[in-house]
Amino acid sequence: MKAGSNFEKVLAAGHFAVTGELGPPQSNNIEVVKKKAGFLKGNIDAVNITDNQTSIVKMSSIAAAAICIQQGLEPVFQMTCRDRNRIAMQSDIFGASALGCLNMLCLSGDHPNFGNQKTSKKVFDIDSIQLIALAKRLRDERKLLDQEKQFNSELKLFIGGAGNPFSRPFEFRALRLAKKVMAGADFVQTQCVYDMERFRDWMKAVRDLGLHEKCYILAGVAPLRSADMAAYMAANVPGIVIPDGIMKRMNSVPKDKAGEEGIKISIELIEEIRQVEGIKGIHLMAIEWEHRAGEIIERAGLLPRPKVE
Amino acid sequence: MVKAKLKPLEEIFGMIRSYKKILTLSCGGCVSVCMAGGQREGMELTLELVEFFRQNRLDAEFTHYTMERQCNPEYLFDAEEIVREADCVISTACGAGVQYIAESHPSKPVFPALNTLFIGIDRDVGLYEERCRTCGDCKLGYTGGICPITRCSKSILNGPCGGTHFSDGSCEIDREIPCAWNDIFERLKSQGRLENILTVHPPSIWMDQAQRTMVQYGFEERYRKKE
Amino acid sequence: MKGLKTEEKIKLILQRREAMIKLCLSACVHCSLCAESCFKFHNHSKDPSYMPSYKALHSIGKIFRKKGKLKDEEFEEMKDLIWNKCVLCMRCYCPMGISIPLLIAAARAVCREKGYYRTYDVISKRIEKSKKVLTK
Repeated sequence: MKAGSNFEKVLAAGHFAVTGELGPPQSNNIEVVKKKAGFLKGNIDAVNITDNQTSIVKMSSIAAAAICIQQGLEPVFQMTCRDRNRIAMQSDIFGASALGCLNMLCLSGDHPNFGNQKTSKKVFDIDSIQLIALAKRLRDERKLLDQEKQFNSELKLFIGGAGNPFSRPFEFRALRLAKKVMAGADFVQTQCVYDMERFRDWMKAVRDLGLHEKCYILAGVAPLRSADMAAYMAANVPGIVIPDGIMKRMNSVPKDKAGEEGIKISIELIEEIRQVEGIKGIHLMAIEWEHRAGEIIERAGLLPRPKVE
Repeated sequence: MVKAKLKPLEEIFGMIRSYKKILTLSCGGCVSVCMAGGQREGMELTLELVEFFRQNRLDAEFTHYTMERQCNPEYLFDAEEIVREADCVISTACGAGVQYIAESHPSKPVFPALNTLFIGIDRDVGLYEERCRTCGDCKLGYTGGICPITRCSKSILNGPCGGTHFSDGSCEIDREIPCAWNDIFERLKSQGRLENILTVHPPSIWMDQAQRTMVQYGFEERYRKKE
Repeated sequence: MKGLKTEEKIKLILQRREAMIKLCLSACVHCSLCAESCFKFHNHSKDPSYMPSYKALHSIGKIFRKKGKLKDEEFEEMKDLIWNKCVLCMRCYCPMGISIPLLIAAARAVCREKGYYRTYDVISKRIEKSKKVLTK
């Protein structure tokens, strides 16, 4: 056990894991976090707390993660390389750990150009793979970056990274995942999967490198809410590939039925994903749709969530 | 070379509007090569400022002069007198040149006419591309001669991030910007050097944290600090 | 320099550099050490017209002897010598203490006053107008 979190225990026990996602509010409103946590609690094994996603200022991921712990929901706090240098990163990891956060996801972070602070100075002192290595060093060696002196407390952390099967160069994506595993990633959550064929190809490359045995891989699933959303994501969000078949299905139903169709597609995708060798769970990104997450997970036959000790 | 671009005229006007004897000081170095602050551009700028002052019913006397280089003591001499005669100087040099003129004439207000942008290459006349951020810890050896600090929008050393567009290999921030790491991968692959990026590269040793002074190899003795 | 005519400005430039120009004209012993230290000279198959001393004598030397009264063609020709064949890198060494780049810079200053300088692309039409305004 690296951290002994519920999430890690579920995976270690061989259960098919389910993680969710919670986007903190664009304010200091604790009630929003509590409400979203309430929808997710009991339906998932842990919840990812996004770190100023798309570079839009939101409540701190660590603060929201701490609130989730108070609500009885285990968080995976996300940390991007966009806003912190290595001083702040190590400091925040200490802080998150002190607040009881046991799972961490290391990300590059969206470029500031996307958000509401476009003219800010981007940091990117280190990158996501270096952040994984840094977190592992803190945990396993109890040493700060470039420092030999050990700190004298235990730091438990289940460290994750992101995997992207749908970006160029396709050939390098599995190799880059290998770099994350080499750096110390214990688990990996992938970008949203819609294109099963390409996903299977990527997983084959991942298995050929033996990565599925060195880390837990969770496939990303995001229910489509409308045909417009699908078209927008396919055209603008990097790493999202939506096959024609799914686009057609989204377009063929009336607007008020599109959400239901999106959920059906997600459930089918989860079914297919479960058949892929080496996949240990799903990461459900029901963005601003936290109240429907439970229903999707239930209909996918993934409830109740296992209790592990 | 250093690349720069003229500031908005309104901004320049705002800096110098209260002065009566204004000198536009062009530079014959890099900024003349990128056609931002050479003799011609300096003369054009002066002309525009004359017009701007006239429109705003302000009276000022304008002079223009071109120095060969504003970052070197040898070339300061020629402009000594003309700078002394002016109430203020609007320099069309890069940031380094502006500061050197200001330092050499501490009592004289010196204003920048340009925004200094980057070190880059000349793609064509009037078309420049950034290539170096002077990070001080050059990575080009393992990245196939493509700078990840400059060309990758996130300056990452173990790329590409998940933001590369699948359809055209462009960067997440702009379809017009090719993903540097996609290019690095393609080039290393074509050269049979993919192993260069299969290991985890450690964090950068940033050398641009404080102002740098460099003593070139062979000159250590000459510039050794007196004990 | 404000309010001076072009000829007067040129005279002033020459006056300022007079000592160095005279030193160059009288003391250059054609030792060719400056050529040895010039990368342009070496990169152009040791073409003598790239020798720093040659470049100085045939630019500012000529201007000084003729008191700045050169024909337009002569200025036009000189552009190649003082802009293309010398980049003012300041690496040329003269045992007599002549600063060749400063002399080339003075030649450039004279040419600039006469309206000959490097523009890196087609000369804009507005330039004639700006010249008029500035010399008014």
